[in-house]
Amino acid sequence: MDFATLAAQLNAGTIVPEGIVIVTILLVIVGDLIVGRSVSARWTPYLAIGGLLLAVLALYQRWDSTSPISFFGEFNADNLSVVFRGIIALSAAGTILMSIRYVEQSGTSLAEFLTILLTAVLGGMFLAGSDELVSVYVSLETLSISSYLLTGYTKRDPRSNEAALKYLLIGASSSAIFLYGASLLYGLSGGETRLSAISAGIATAGLDQSIGLVIALVFAIAGIAFKIAAVPFHQWTPDVYEGSPTPVVAFLSVGSKAAGFALAIRLLVTAFPLVTEQWQFVMTALAILSMVLGNVVALAQTSMKRLLAYSSIGQAGFIMIGLVIGTDAGYASMVFYLMIYLFMNLGAFTCIILFTLRTGTDQISEYSGLYQKDPLLTLALSICLLSLGGIPPLAGFFGKLYLFWAGWQAGAYPLVLLGLVTSVISIYYYIRVVKMMVVKEPQEMSDSVKNYPAIRWDLQGMRPLQVGLVMTLVATTIAGILSNPLFTLANNSVTQTPMLQAAQKPAVQVSKDETVRLPIAL
Amino acid sequence: MNLAEGVQIVSFGILAVMMLGSAFGVVLLGNVVYSAFLLAGVFISMSGLYLLLNADFVAAAQILIYVGAVNVLILFAIMLVNKRQDFVMVPRIWIRQVATALVCVGIFALLGTMVVTTPWAIVTTMPVGDASIVKIGLHFFSDFLLPFELASMLLLMALIGAVVLARREFLPEATLEPGDADALTLPERPRELLTTGRSDSTIQ
Amino acid sequence: MQLQYFLLIAAALFCIGIYGLITSRNAVRVLMSIELMLNAVNLNLMAFSNYLDADEIKGQVFTIFVITIAAAEAAVGLAIVLAIYRNRDTVDMEQFNLLKW
Repeated sequence: MDFATLAAQLNAGTIVPEGIVIVTILLVIVGDLIVGRSVSARWTPYLAIGGLLLAVLALYQRWDSTSPISFFGEFNADNLSVVFRGIIALSAAGTILMSIRYVEQSGTSLAEFLTILLTAVLGGMFLAGSDELVSVYVSLETLSISSYLLTGYTKRDPRSNEAALKYLLIGASSSAIFLYGASLLYGLSGGETRLSAISAGIATAGLDQSIGLVIALVFAIAGIAFKIAAVPFHQWTPDVYEGSPTPVVAFLSVGSKAAGFALAIRLLVTAFPLVTEQWQFVMTALAILSMVLGNVVALAQTSMKRLLAYSSIGQAGFIMIGLVIGTDAGYASMVFYLMIYLFMNLGAFTCIILFTLRTGTDQISEYSGLYQKDPLLTLALSICLLSLGGIPPLAGFFGKLYLFWAGWQAGAYPLVLLGLVTSVISIYYYIRVVKMMVVKEPQEMSDSVKNYPAIRWDLQGMRPLQVGLVMTLVATTIAGILSNPLFTLANNSVTQTPMLQAAQKPAVQVSKDETVRLPIAL
Repeated sequence: MNLAEGVQIVSFGILAVMMLGSAFGVVLLGNVVYSAFLLAGVFISMSGLYLLLNADFVAAAQILIYVGAVNVLILFAIMLVNKRQDFVMVPRIWIRQVATALVCVGIFALLGTMVVTTPWAIVTTMPVGDASIVKIGLHFFSDFLLPFELASMLLLMALIGAVVLARREFLPEATLEPGDADALTLPERPRELLTTGRSDSTIQ
Repeated sequence: MQLQYFLLIAAALFCIGIYGLITSRNAVRVLMSIELMLNAVNLNLMAFSNYLDADEIKGQVFTIFVITIAAAEAAVGLAIVLAIYRNRDTVDMEQFNLLKW
């Protein structure tokens, strides 16, 4: 096998978007080394955003690619992975917009922050398309290790240190558990590491109902549930959200979570088709726990970041409804909700960062009366929170509607009813914040708001924040009414993905065939 | 090149006892320095087990990376953070330890049952043995090329990140104004530091 | 020599790792417990590679990746432990309670 045939077999064109991200990382590092920290802070963030947008453009060109499988089956660039990689890249672009001023204020250097963030994006993008255990593990760890570093990036702050330590210890142990499950898969399938070959190998070995497969499934789910912060693997979430720099939290709650869902779909559908009922049962339990616990505990929070932490746990529960029903509409509604969640959650975090930068606090009570001092911020935060709660004309409503509709179609009535009840609860705590900002009389204003500084957008790093704020605000508002393109995109990404189509209804027949065939073989 | 059966079993037994014994020492001993040295024992006996499994390259890599790098790193970390301090006793900690031990025994029983009852599809082909390094190289540059290259980005980022976090920031003391004391912290104010105060008083 | 022997001691090592992970109070020792768990996984992979996949030895390749990443993780973990030690002057897990669990 000479070099030319090897290069042709690799089909490396599928990872051009990731290549663009890598080039951006190297440019940021080298550029920062050459020109020095103070000068580079002026252009590196824009270079990084440019690189990410270019990567999204390259992804768009790879939509519907005829030969998605590349690197000898390591990477599968099907349409589903394209959508997820796009979500991850966009979430990082939004994060960079809001992080410029914040990182400046915390007195740490921006170029290293961008490097680590972009590497996290790289890991997430590879994770969304990885089709083989080794590359799943390596990309998962790329994402995780960069997330630990980002969490502890403000190293002078004990809260940030502590969040990073907790995140690292829980994350590393959950990835060790995940890895044990992966090693069992390798053994049970008789030495296969490609996800699609694993289930075939296990079926050939006649181990499709063995206890080993169930243990591998449980261990793998432990790793996935940690990434998407599903109860009972959520313990790190509130602490990490509260202690780490807020832009990092924005990325973790959107980009990292989307990568986790991409992994969940690919791993569960491709590697565990033999135990579909079991994994759907486990994920249903996790969805119920997440919806109930996330939304109920959020009621008692006093810190805005913690509130959003628990709300994101609840949101993960809603998204899992789409996963467990396992229909086309279910997966499409997951993708659709994640796209909308990208805008509204990034918008909410942009508002929190803006408020923090101006007042230095993130207590919910300090927001009272904000309307009199800063109408734009109040409007943006209200819209994003109401959209997260699912109030009708906004984007979040349509996302939830589609999720619940898909669940109802598939006959998951209890799950949908529980989703409805908990989203009503969630509306209560979102409205509480909105009410506090809008309807308080001037004399009830909090101290922070009373001392609110004059609004200035011309400071360094404020302009990108403003751009991010307005863009997410507009997207959250109109994505609801003009949701058709997103809707079509989500649907196409599912219906044109061979992996999911193969796993649809025929899957039941396939597994039946297996059980019929096996006794004959024995 | 397999060793004779009897020698294999005896060396397996010795290595297994060594490894499990050191592993218990790592988690149970009071002094963390002993734990770190016993961890090296675990790594070395693990490498011996790899030799029994016909994997000479990985056995060498295990010694070089785990004993040579990871363990030395851990020892350095212990040197840097080891303050002779007795941890404050937490009441009823033994209940937690016993409960954890029971859970771990339960997990072991589950995994053990699984290992014993599963009919593994053992193949009878001759292991590649000495040619393993060639085989591994071929894998790295054909079907495992993507993770191989991604690992290089991961290592680069881990290097940069670890340096950023572990480096001491030398703030020029003279220019440090009173308000700049927390210049490198999160822009949010800490919520309440009551717990810090309590823990500080218990240390000293 | 049987595959099951190796798998059993790997399982034992994994459980020892879990025990150390939950009960250790020194942050450095928690990191060591995680290394134990990763080593257990490696032993699993190597055993499978020898007995079930003797031609392709993909398990050995997997193990090398795990070793690489474990080293990176250890470096990052110890950097974080150093950072927290500078600020809090302790590595006792029970003292890290600025944030509620």
